[in-house]
Parts: sequence; C-alpha cells; structure tokens
Amino acid sequence: MNRRKFIQIVSQSLLGAGVLPSVAQAAAADDRRRLQFVFAQIKYRGGDWNPHPLSVAPLMEELMARTSVEAAATRYEASLGDRDLFNYPFLYLTGKYEFEPFAPDEIDNLRRFLTYGGFLLIDDALGQQGYGFDKAVRREMQRVFPGNEFKRIPPGHASLRSYYLLRRVGGVRIVSPTLDGITIGNSMPVIYCQNDLGGAWERDQTGKWTNICTPGGEAQRRDAFHLGINLILYAMTENYKEDLIHVPFIRRRLTR
Amino acid sequence: MRDLYLIGTLPLWLIALAGAAVITLLVLQFRGLRRRLPLGQTIFLTLLRTVVYAGLIFFLFGPALIDRKTTQLRRPLTVLVDSSQSMGFAADPKAVPGDKAPVSRLDAVRDKLTGGKEPLIQKLNRDYDLRLVRFGTSMEPIAPGSLAGMRAQDPGTRLIELLQAAARDGAAQSAILVFSDGIANGDRKSLEGMAPLPVPVFAVGVGQTEGFTDVRISKLGAPEFAFRGREFKLDLTVQASGMKGRTVPLFFNRGKNLITTRPITIDSDSFEQKVTLAFTPKDLGTHAFSVSIPAQAGEQIVPNNHKEFKVEVQRDKIRILTLSGSPAWNYRFLRMAMKQDPLIELVSFVFLRTPTDTVDVPESQLSLIPFPIDDIFLEELKNFDVIFLDDFSHRAYFNPVYLERVRDFVRDGGGLAMIGGARAFDSGGYGDSALREVLPVELDGKGVFETRGAVQTTLTAAGKAHPITRLLPDPKANEEAWRKMPALTGMNQVRGVRGESLLTAGGADSAVGAPLLAIGRYGKGRTLALMTDDAWRWNFIAVGNKETPQNHLKLMRQAVRWLAQEPSFEQVRLRPIPSSQPGEKIAIKLRVLKDDFTPTREASVQLRVFTPEGEPIVVSAAADGEEGEYAGEFTPTREGTHRVEAEASLAGKVLGKDKTSFTAAFSYGEADDGLPRLDLLKQIAETSKGEYIPIADWNEKALERIAARLQSIAPAEIVEQRQTRLWNNLWPFAIMLVLLSVEWWTRRKWGLI
Repeated sequence: MNRRKFIQIVSQSLLGAGVLPSVAQAAAADDRRRLQFVFAQIKYRGGDWNPHPLSVAPLMEELMARTSVEAAATRYEASLGDRDLFNYPFLYLTGKYEFEPFAPDEIDNLRRFLTYGGFLLIDDALGQQGYGFDKAVRREMQRVFPGNEFKRIPPGHASLRSYYLLRRVGGVRIVSPTLDGITIGNSMPVIYCQNDLGGAWERDQTGKWTNICTPGGEAQRRDAFHLGINLILYAMTENYKEDLIHVPFIRRRLTR
Repeated sequence: MRDLYLIGTLPLWLIALAGAAVITLLVLQFRGLRRRLPLGQTIFLTLLRTVVYAGLIFFLFGPALIDRKTTQLRRPLTVLVDSSQSMGFAADPKAVPGDKAPVSRLDAVRDKLTGGKEPLIQKLNRDYDLRLVRFGTSMEPIAPGSLAGMRAQDPGTRLIELLQAAARDGAAQSAILVFSDGIANGDRKSLEGMAPLPVPVFAVGVGQTEGFTDVRISKLGAPEFAFRGREFKLDLTVQASGMKGRTVPLFFNRGKNLITTRPITIDSDSFEQKVTLAFTPKDLGTHAFSVSIPAQAGEQIVPNNHKEFKVEVQRDKIRILTLSGSPAWNYRFLRMAMKQDPLIELVSFVFLRTPTDTVDVPESQLSLIPFPIDDIFLEELKNFDVIFLDDFSHRAYFNPVYLERVRDFVRDGGGLAMIGGARAFDSGGYGDSALREVLPVELDGKGVFETRGAVQTTLTAAGKAHPITRLLPDPKANEEAWRKMPALTGMNQVRGVRGESLLTAGGADSAVGAPLLAIGRYGKGRTLALMTDDAWRWNFIAVGNKETPQNHLKLMRQAVRWLAQEPSFEQVRLRPIPSSQPGEKIAIKLRVLKDDFTPTREASVQLRVFTPEGEPIVVSAAADGEEGEYAGEFTPTREGTHRVEAEASLAGKVLGKDKTSFTAAFSYGEADDGLPRLDLLKQIAETSKGEYIPIADWNEKALERIAARLQSIAPAEIVEQRQTRLWNNLWPFAIMLVLLSVEWWTRRKWGLI
C-alpha cells in the first residue's frame, strides 16, 4: 500500500464513519456536481439507512475502471426533502429494518423525481421478504405510486443489457434470482434488488471484502458489481440498448 | 313545269249542294224545252247549259296552275383530317420499325386525298362547299394546299368532342367526312350515352387492327410523394395486341439502376394484366423511376413500352445520429426529448468504454457493439438529417478524415450540433479538424472546458426572435422563462461566434457574455453549438424547483427541427404546385417570413422557373392575400418537369430560398395505345346515317356513293314555285261567255226568245 492509497482509505473511512461528516461533504459537493455520475444515497428516519458505509467506493472504482463514466469516488448522502436532490438523478435506498414513513412533501418530491427522469435503486440488506426494510419499502413506494406495484423484470430488460449481458443477479445472498421494478410510462425508474448488493460491494479499510457471498462466492460478488454498473448505465442511458441497432448484435451474442 | 291543283277553300258540302241545285235546274230546263222542241234540239241546249254549270261548279274547287323550278346547290362538306401523333404510326401493321420509311397513317390519308392526276381533294373542293380542317386536341381550318406539309403532332385526339363541334357548326344539308385511325382519348372515348350526331358522318378509317402487334404499359399509377424508408407501390397495366404466346420482361428502374424485373406471359391476342411493383426509397429528394418492356419483334409502337415518373421522397421522420462520448445525464435528457417526439427517429451511439478501460469478462459477455465507422461515415451518413456530437471526441475512436465526411454532409444540407463537455470543441481536438470551418463558433485550439459556480442564461437580441429559443409565444413570457432557467455548472470556452449567438452566459459569473448557444450555416446545411454539457439541468433541476421540464424538451426539439430545415422553420417556403398541362396557367405561391419569423409584405421575391431544357424564365411575384403570402403566374408551354426556385430578400438581406418542381404533361396518352379504333369510326358512321369507308376503298366511286347517300338523305336543291288561279284567267270566262252566247243565239233561231 502506498502513501496515496493509505490517505485515501483513511479519508474514506473517516467520511464513511461520519467522523468528518458535513464539512467535508459540503466542500466536495460542488466538485461532485460537475462529475458525470454521483452515487447519491437516501438518508431516512428510523431503521438503518447505512448498513454498508464502505460499499460505494469499490463500486465507483469498478465503474471507472470498466466504463467511460467519470464518477465521484464517494457518495452523496441526501434526504428526500433536500433542495439539492435533483442534482443527483441516481438515488440509492438501502437498509435492513423498517423505517419511518416519508413525509408527504418527501413523497411528492420523490414522485416528481422519478416521474421526470430520475432513477432509484432499492437494495434490501436484510433479505427478508415481507419484513423489516422490504415491508417499509413496499409501503412507501405504494404511497409514491399508488396502485403501481413492483413487478418482476424480464430477462431481456435493458437494465440487464446496458453494459454486461447479465444472466444472474448477484448479491450477498440470493433471496431472489430476479429483480423487481416499477414501470412509469415507457421507462422503469425504480428497480428493487433483495440480494443485498451493497454488502457484496463493501470492502473494509484494508481492502478485504466485509461479507461473504453465498452460495456463489466471488462469482456471485462479481455479478453484484456487474449489476451495479449495469443499473448505473441504465439510469444514464435508459433503454438505449433496446434501440434497433443493438438488438441483432446482442441477440447473436446471447445465442452463442 | 306546270301542274293543275284544286286549291279552293269552299266546303265540299256547299259545292255538293250547288251541284244538286244545278242538276235540278237542268232537269227542269230539259222538261220545259221538251214541251216546245224536238228531242235533239232539247238535248243540245241542255248540254250547252250543263257545260256552263259544270264550269261554274269546277271553279268552286279553286283550280290553279302551279309552276315549279328546281335549282341544285353545292352541299357544305367538312373534311376533318386527324393530325394527332398516333397518325404518325405505320399504316400497315406488317411494316415494322427498321423497314425503309414505312408509310404512316397520315401519309396514307395524304396519298389518297392528294395523289393522282385529279386529286380527290380537288374534286371535293369542286363538288362541295368544302371546309378542310385538321384536328387533334383542337380544330384548325387549313387550305387544301397545306395537306402536303401537315404533320402528325397533336398530343391527343378529341375525336368525338370535335365531331360534335363540327356538326354544330355545319349548315343544313351539310355532312362530315373524317379521316382518322379512330383513336379517341379526349374526355369522351365512346359514344355511350351520347345523342346521334345531327349530320351524316362519312368515316374513312386508316390503320389496321388485324396483324397489329404491340405491347404497352398503360394506366401507370405512382405516388408523387413517398416517405424515406417506407415502401411505396405503383400499379400499372400491361396491354398487348397480337402477341399471344410470348413472354416479355418488365423492368423497374430507378434512374439507370435496375430495381427489379418481372416476366409477363401474354396468353391472349387482346391481353391485359395489372401489375403492382413496390420500392422502399432510402434517399431524400426527387428520384426518377421508369418501367419498361424491351422492343419486341414485329412491334409497331415502341415508345409506349416505356413510362417514366418522378417520386419526391420526403422524410416522415427527422433521422438523428447522436455520438455521445460517455453515458451522461445530458445524453439521458437529450434522449428523453427526442424519444418523446414522434417526428424524430433517433439512432444513438454512446461510447460506454474508452480504449483504456479494462473489462473482467470476455467480450462475448458485454453488450457493447463495435462502432460501425465505415458504415456510418461512408454509407449511412446521407440518410440522416442531423448529427449530434454530444461531448464526443473523435480522437480516441477514428481517423479525423472521417470528419471531412461530416463537413461534406453539412455542406450538402445536413444539420450538425455540437454539445459541450470535456470532449467537445477545443477540448475534443476540433480546433484543428475539418469541422473547425463548419461550426458556428471560432476555435483556436486553446479553449478549455471550465467548471463554473453558477452560470445563468441570457437571451441575446437574436435569441429573443429565433424559433429555437422561443419557448413561449409571448416575448416577455419567453424572456421570463429563460431568466428562470436553472444555472449551469460548466462551459466550453470558444474564441468567438462565427454565426449568430442566441444565448450567452449571464448572472454574476465571470463568464458573463460568453457564448452559450450559437447557430450558423455552412453550405446548404445548418450548425449549432451548445457550449455546455449541463443542459439537462434546465430540465431536471427545473422539475426540482417545481417548474416545468418542457422548456428544455422544447428547446431540444426546436433545435432539431431548425437543424433539419423543417419546412415550418423555413423563412421562404414554396407551396406545392399541382401537375398541369402545357398551355394551362398555374399559380406559384410562397410564404415569406422575416428573421423574427413574422410574415412580411415588404419582401422582394424573385421567382424563376426552369423549363425541362433548363432554360430559366423569370416570373414576377407579388404579395397576395394574407400577410406573408406571395404569388406569381406561369404557363408551361411544353411537357416535362419544371423546376421552380424562389428567393426572398428584405432590405437587401436574403431571407431564404426554396425550390420545388412540377410536371406539365398532357393527359391524353396519345402514344400509349396505337391500336386503330375502326370499330368506333363504324359506330359513328352508322349512328349518324353516314357510311364507314376503309382507306383502301377511298376512291372516286366512294365519292359517288357519298353523293348518292347524301342525296337520298337530304337532297341539296332549291325549288321555286309560282301559282296562278284559273279564275283569274280570261279564258274560262270567255269560254263560258261563248257557250252562253251560242245558247242564246240558238234559242233565238229556234224561236224560243
């Protein structure tokens, strides 16, 4: 480990642990805004909004190493009532436990955010369907889009082809082999993974993975990274990979 | 010659009563005389009186002598000679093209009328009050001497209509003698539903139906407009005469390039088959197509084997190619604007990976497709209307030579937009590329992409009027909408604006006044430069501020339309001109808008029509009707496609140009079907009480037959009549007086008085 890497790890740890919270974040906010992609994570009341504080940096490293996206190395923590929320069209909502209901203005804000081009990735770190975080998420999304429930995403969906041709959904555990999503018009601004993607992405300060992926091990972790990259690119290019020019090429590769 | 007629007006019963009275008197006279005279003398005197009484009774009938004098007249005769183009076809079907000077149908007529020692035309001129007329689409009286120089040139044959007109014009006892092949392609093509002609028509038929060999393309129905990328169909009918058993190829060409061929099997002597062909045009513009059948052995008429037509290929959608340097929110919201617009067809390439990025899976597990450089820049570019270079630098992906293709694309009428970012303008290396001269901003290779605090947007004077930046119709509301636009956070530096600046940086930022949105023209094309990659904020941040995202979407869509030179965004726009016929006056109309896109009546408009031969004709145009509408009139004199160009200027500044074309063509189709319609001529002759005469039988005997037929139908003579009443004559009175005197003298001698 060289000096630069050491400083980076220390600063990320401090930021992630909330030791140097708001000051550092405010200073970096303007610079982050300029970058093409900022991973914004929703802070909410109750429950645990931050079960994997070190999960974002490894994903951003992977994103920049594999793709042409220039991303902020650290995440932006946003609450749904934030005035700044619309500077970050990609939102990440994760947790383990049931949380307090969003305020009405937060619901309204989130609805506008998702209706007019924003994207929300929901990641259940507990992995218990009908309990804890899952229960709260389904309740809140019903308030955002009444009558519009999560539906299983088909295997050929653009989010599974936006960069990698994905056949599996990774994560710490395979609670569901598929993703769920909410469709608004022709787009799917909400995608929900119940396999704890953040846990699979997370590394400790020394670079060790904090969670073991079962049952697939490192291949399953790699799938989790691939899915993370795919979902980010899907948010930025929408259904670009469903354009006619891509279809025959992708079909050829999938039939090999 | 004198004849006796009884023309009295007394009733017969009165005359019979007088006769009865006379008989009674005679009986009484006979009885009285018999008592005084012997029988012989009684009978003599009674007979004398009977003669006198009979004479008086006879005069009661009104006897009169009538003189009649008959004078023969020269009958009016209209001789119509068909001078339509079909009369130029060979009179004898056995004479094939290539034979030495085959005799045309008109030649055959000419020979029959003017040949010989005493030409029949002279004889007709002598025997009739002759009116010689050539006809085709109209009638033209000619002198008999002009027959020799007459040519088969009329583009159509309004046979039935002109026979009706000639019959109406003819005097009493007139007749019509028509020399024709019977082809009638005016409004009336048969006698169905028509009253018989009021004068006898003697039809001399030229040409032969037996042995007539021809294959032709008729009834071609093709659209005048088609959409690029959408199949259009054309319907045609192949007709053939005398070619049973042959198979001929039908070729469908675009220009000289064969599109498809189809075999046509001719299974009857009078053959007709409908054929439908289809083509999907890929290129915009007016394209010439043709359908043709090669000349067949023994065929009389070859020109009708070929038909040409033009189709103007328009876009049903604006095709846009976007090249984005990486996934970005700007692409996301640009895509949203375009995808939501039904007029736009988007083909986009987002460079998801740079050459330095590595992947941890085999290529086969990636959805990345190779960027088809050659296909895009060498083949497909012309099929797009607008190219967006969205924070894209060519440097990592292809040779800058390909940008020359983009430059040529714009020069030839395409649209180019460059959207800013770290890979655009000078930062993308365009300062020393072929696009440097194309872009509406000046690049010097030193401009960088800068992160700014908060860059507000200011409308320039041009931006306030321009349709791209007019988000709301009301100017003040539009300025207010721009003032409320969310701030941007990054800008590309450029040295200056070559075209027009519509937006500049405003607010408190140090970049105030720096160009943000500029437009320009290069060759026939248009260019746009947006010096930021942050325009998505005008959409999404506005949503967050509870403002409308529509301003951003509208801006992008209006930019696309302006770049694609959508007609609704053109300042000078010619209205479509319908097809016409030579000699028919047409109106050329156009709309002119000022730079602020409001209509003007003050513009100077120059209209030029280019004939099919390319000769320019200046047409004067003036303001017409509504504000901004102008019109001129033009009368095409010949068939073919005429190109129209319009240019409007105001105060010396050119507002714009437009061009269109129209076709002038006769609708008769004279050369389409050369088969003589001798049956029609026979029908005309029969219904008008005339006679049909084949050209081979046209001779002096035919003339005599015509004269006899006319005489039998209606003699051409004048009868003069004079009437003399016998009562008015001295002799009857004298005879009566003599008879009565003899009776008186005899009575005296016989002692009765």
